[in-house]
Amino acid sequence: MLNASTMALALANLNGSRQQSGDNLVCHARDGSILAGSCLYVGLPPEKPFNISCWSRNMKDLTCRWTPGTHGETFLHTNYSLKYKLRWYGQDNTCEEYHTVGPHSCHIPKDLALFTPYEIWVEATNRLGSARSDVLTLDILDVVTTDPPPDVHVSRVGGLEDQLSVRWVSPPALKDFLFQAKYQIRYRVEDSVDWKVVDDVSNQTSCRLAGLKPGTVYFVQVRCNPFGIYGSKKAGIWSEWSHPTAASTPRSERPGPGGGACEPRGGEPSSGPVRRELKQFLGWLKKHAYCSNLSFRLYDQWRAWMQKSHKTRNQVLPDKL
Amino acid sequence: MSRREGSLEDPQADSSASPLPHLEAKIQQTHSLARLLTKYAEQLLQEYVQHQGDPFGLPGFSPPRLPVADLSDPAPGHAGLPVPERLRLDAAALAALPPLLDVVRRLQGELNPLALRLLGRLEDAARQVRALGAAVEAVLAALGAESRGPRPEPAAAAVAAATASAGVFPAKVLGFRVCGLYLEWVSRTEADLGQLAPGGPA
Repeated sequence: MLNASTMALALANLNGSRQQSGDNLVCHARDGSILAGSCLYVGLPPEKPFNISCWSRNMKDLTCRWTPGTHGETFLHTNYSLKYKLRWYGQDNTCEEYHTVGPHSCHIPKDLALFTPYEIWVEATNRLGSARSDVLTLDILDVVTTDPPPDVHVSRVGGLEDQLSVRWVSPPALKDFLFQAKYQIRYRVEDSVDWKVVDDVSNQTSCRLAGLKPGTVYFVQVRCNPFGIYGSKKAGIWSEWSHPTAASTPRSERPGPGGGACEPRGGEPSSGPVRRELKQFLGWLKKHAYCSNLSFRLYDQWRAWMQKSHKTRNQVLPDKL
Repeated sequence: MSRREGSLEDPQADSSASPLPHLEAKIQQTHSLARLLTKYAEQLLQEYVQHQGDPFGLPGFSPPRLPVADLSDPAPGHAGLPVPERLRLDAAALAALPPLLDVVRRLQGELNPLALRLLGRLEDAARQVRALGAAVEAVLAALGAESRGPRPEPAAAAVAAATASAGVFPAKVLGFRVCGLYLEWVSRTEADLGQLAPGGPA
């Protein structure tokens, strides 16, 4: 309550404004009616934006994302503006398409130069001040990503119970530039959430998964990293995973082995010393022999023969007993 | 549906107006529209106060009842007037509301730019009240009781300029007032049309 001669007052320990239109400071008469009012905007100046990351989809555009500040909420409407310019010449440009991949993101759809670095930064402004991020310098070719590989097909390998063949097509948008591209495959059993990743699938559009459980449905996905595009030495950015493709391994009459893969990351507990040595042998053959493909085929043929002869022995054994 | 007798007759109405089947349908339709807009107007007012902050929306909130250009509250004696006269006053108020709702929408677009549902409701309200006003004018014309003389040019632009320069709190109060007037006049229109609608009091 104030008296009639009060001309000023100080308000301390205010919480941040709860709505964009500000908090209302009103002057009441004794009967409760409102005589006048004003609005207070209680908040904080923006912090320095940081952690800017950008990517270009098929070298055609650039999308950037950033973190607004370490303490988050300013309680005031804060405007974030992504700016960019060519490093050695050109004027400052302002990104116009915001919130494309989250609240602090912007998309530059066209007119981007290749082979010339860009400088990119974010400016944050509200009623209490402004802040500017550090400048990120990048070349579009070093942050390229692409679409997931289309037409992923997963099929059985003849009668082999523990193998599936995966084939896909290079992402068409960059198909003329992907001779150094890398691919990754991941797969999981139908009712599991644990994916196994095969990441030594460089520059191929097919792979064979081995050591799988017989009679089991598997979901498989593939993604692409357009590494080395136009000679870029940077790591490239993985695409999204392709839509899951399902296939099942043939049933087995004997208990199947545990999990395994064509080149699983981390190895499988069921891989014994023989399997490890065989893997090393095949790796050596790939480097030193010209018939590495032939050896894999031969290995599969040998395995199929082994399974058939194992079944025959089981049929024979009861008679021998 | 039973046939009604004398529901359209108003002893004080123009004696040359004769009830027609399509007029009954038009009145029924307009009455239903007014009932729907009354519900929307209640929702709009609730949504509006939520975005302005306390004490807007609190019980006993009593801002200054500043006059709004071109529009005032229904007069205390409104309900005692002949129905056609009431409808003429309703039509005049409904015609004054759209530019005022547009002003409120523009002001809220600056004060609450992220309140998309509120902004959408304000835009819809302006459009819907135009439709209701046109329907009421059509009923009046069919009754031979249309408004007399031209309406004054709306002063909404002047309202907007004055409010924008007066500050944020007066802008909030203006919007509260306009949303309140919108609710009062559409519910008044609903009640007045109910006097003419089938099943209403003779």
